[in-house]
Amino acid sequence: MEETKWEPKVVGFLCHWCSYAGADLTGSARMEYPHNIRIIRVPCSGRIDPMFILRALQNGLDGVLVSGCHPGDCHYQSGNFHARRKFAVTRKLLEYVGIEPERVQFSWVAASEGPKMAQVVKEFVEGVRKVGPNRLFKDEIRDGE
Amino acid sequence: MGYKRIKKDQLNAFLRELSKDYAVVLPSRSGGQVVFGPWDGENTDFLDWYKNTVIPPKALFFPPVEEMFRFRKGEEGYEIEELMPDKGQQIIFGIRPCDARALKIIDMLFADTYRDPYYLRRRENSLLIGLGCNEPCDTCFCASLDISPGQSEDVDILCTDTGEDLLIEAISDKGGNLLSRMSGLSDAGSEEESKARELRKSAKERITREINLSGLQERMRSNFENRAYWEKVSKKCMACGICTYVCPTCHCFDINDENRKKEGKRVRNWDSCKFPLFTRMPMENPRHEKWRRMRQRYHHKFEYYPMNFGAIACTGCGRCIRECPVNVDVTEIIGGI
Amino acid sequence: MENRLKEEARKLLKEGKVDYIVGYGNGTVKFRTSPLITNKEEDIESLVINPFIANNLSRYPTEIKGKLGIVVKGCDSRSLVSLMQDNKVNRDDMVILGVPCEGVVDIKKLGEQIGADIDQAKEIDKEGDNLIVQMDGSKKTVPFRDVIFDKCFGCEYPTPLEYDILLGSEVSPRIEIEKSLKKIKEFEDTDAPERWRYWKEQFSKCIRCYACRNVCPACFCERCFVDVNIPQWITTYGSWQDNLVFQLIRTLHVAGRCSDCGECERSCPVGIPLRSLQRKMVEEVKGLFNHETGVDKDAFPVFTHYEATDPEEFIK
Repeated sequence: MEETKWEPKVVGFLCHWCSYAGADLTGSARMEYPHNIRIIRVPCSGRIDPMFILRALQNGLDGVLVSGCHPGDCHYQSGNFHARRKFAVTRKLLEYVGIEPERVQFSWVAASEGPKMAQVVKEFVEGVRKVGPNRLFKDEIRDGE
Repeated sequence: MGYKRIKKDQLNAFLRELSKDYAVVLPSRSGGQVVFGPWDGENTDFLDWYKNTVIPPKALFFPPVEEMFRFRKGEEGYEIEELMPDKGQQIIFGIRPCDARALKIIDMLFADTYRDPYYLRRRENSLLIGLGCNEPCDTCFCASLDISPGQSEDVDILCTDTGEDLLIEAISDKGGNLLSRMSGLSDAGSEEESKARELRKSAKERITREINLSGLQERMRSNFENRAYWEKVSKKCMACGICTYVCPTCHCFDINDENRKKEGKRVRNWDSCKFPLFTRMPMENPRHEKWRRMRQRYHHKFEYYPMNFGAIACTGCGRCIRECPVNVDVTEIIGGI
Repeated sequence: MENRLKEEARKLLKEGKVDYIVGYGNGTVKFRTSPLITNKEEDIESLVINPFIANNLSRYPTEIKGKLGIVVKGCDSRSLVSLMQDNKVNRDDMVILGVPCEGVVDIKKLGEQIGADIDQAKEIDKEGDNLIVQMDGSKKTVPFRDVIFDKCFGCEYPTPLEYDILLGSEVSPRIEIEKSLKKIKEFEDTDAPERWRYWKEQFSKCIRCYACRNVCPACFCERCFVDVNIPQWITTYGSWQDNLVFQLIRTLHVAGRCSDCGECERSCPVGIPLRSLQRKMVEEVKGLFNHETGVDKDAFPVFTHYEATDPEEFIK
């Protein structure tokens, strides 16, 4: 019985109006993107609380992708502007405490950008694969360390 | 049994002998803090700098977080895995008389109608070797509560630091039995004994802080409705949990079940009656206001606990005064009633 | 300054301009002060201003209703202005008694510097640029600048910017910012796994007393996210993972409203270096959005506002 190789398991918080629609388009156009991502639909990228990102990592997910509408195109006018500010500081804090920056990624993907969505997810999953499985919140550290 | 003694540089050998049958726990520096931790087998210089820990020794018997049991949903219902503390014997070396008395005080509660198996198992398997205080802190007020800083009946063995020697005295039968099996102890002469007596007397005299306990029960009862007083003294309180967590007699806890899918565990953790949500219930929160919680805590310690168990739930260790960010002072509050 | 304070405070109470005076009084522990909140004239005599006034009194206006005469140092005044920006406190309800601050003494640091137990000291006086510690039979002198809190070294606004009455003459900013940021810079020089291990170790000490949250003026939520149980974000008990997540989220919640008063770190009974997190956010907010807490009363709070030109190079 051959050993199963580790595959990254990541979550994507996609805003309903742009990024989620974009991911739908990727599917309809039969473009492939990595199966490692589990998508959670939120109304707006502004809905994302830094708590979601930390909980995802705490529960063992290897990476978190957050994607919203381009600035100026938010369905709720300013949700993604607020999100942009929040993400900027969240990212700095997470990197400061030692969480690998490759694990947390943000993007703007419009509803028409099917290929971009595929590209973003592909690059993100590769980035997470490079940094390895998320053992940050585990209690016992085996092998090495 | 009279006093025994060892020279301070023999302490290492003494502890080593104890380590053969017991896990020795003593004051150590860890993470910039003084804590009770397992002896590293070498270091005994804590005698030079040890005053007292911030987290009291109650944490060794009643830990801040304790898994009670684990459960799993099997084919035919729940399987429960008990997580009792292991039966190994341990020695707590260096516990102060105030903290030792505190353990005796909460023993009564944990052995009441419902016997708390976790706490009691740990207590049965532990032996306390106390270390008398020669230099009380500015915040100590044990003397007003009839606790002597240099002496204790609540430990099994009491040590006194006389400068070059450690005077060792058996207090309980358990302690006496242990000492009789130890080697390397010499008898203490009358000179050392009187030195110890001197140190104990001067330690007691050096305590400057006091708490006014005269007619306490009556004072507390008649001032229960004195809202203005409790509002005044609680105005600056931050309603954090520091005073309860560093108190060696505070014992309130919360129990939660943590589960995920088909398995989980039951955990108990420290809780504080100072927290706003401590008495939150579906219909109401009777102690929503800060002054009510303030009043509750002091009445519990100084009126209800004596009523139920015959002892004031305070030993004058002074940790609450020292650690409170805004310097709420129990002696001041009780004194003002 | 103390006499001027007592004079003004008495006047304010007598003329009914305020309901309470919120200031510092002598603590019951040697060399500590304690918040003094009173509406009685006879208590005014107990007000003090000395090198030990560490508490941030801006924590009280969100709790005590009515008009307050509040004593603030430089950092405290910025917390208070931040609360005004958040619309939690009305400027008209405050009579701000500003104390230009030369730094607050860190008793622990002082003990280390003189190599003795401060408990045994009889008196501590400030004379010029030095602190004279009177022990039993000996006197020790240390430069005042060596024993103030880390945050005080690089204080850019020691004189309150917003005040009604300034109780003393202005103090010029202290520019040893590298000293204030020393721990942070050292920390950033280590690699990521080491940093994570450091925080894991620190937060294993946390007992969830919530002192850090309760002493912070910026933490005024009626129900904190940790107390919410539907959904339960983090457990009520102290596992290091939850402790760390608690503090990280708290840091993000107060980011942009934190004036680095340092109370969180000072209050922590187990000595977790919380300022290393909070001050780092102060620097980041300054760098990213050019916003300093509580400097401009009419500015918007950082996260309720946005600019078209906000940095976004990190977004794909």
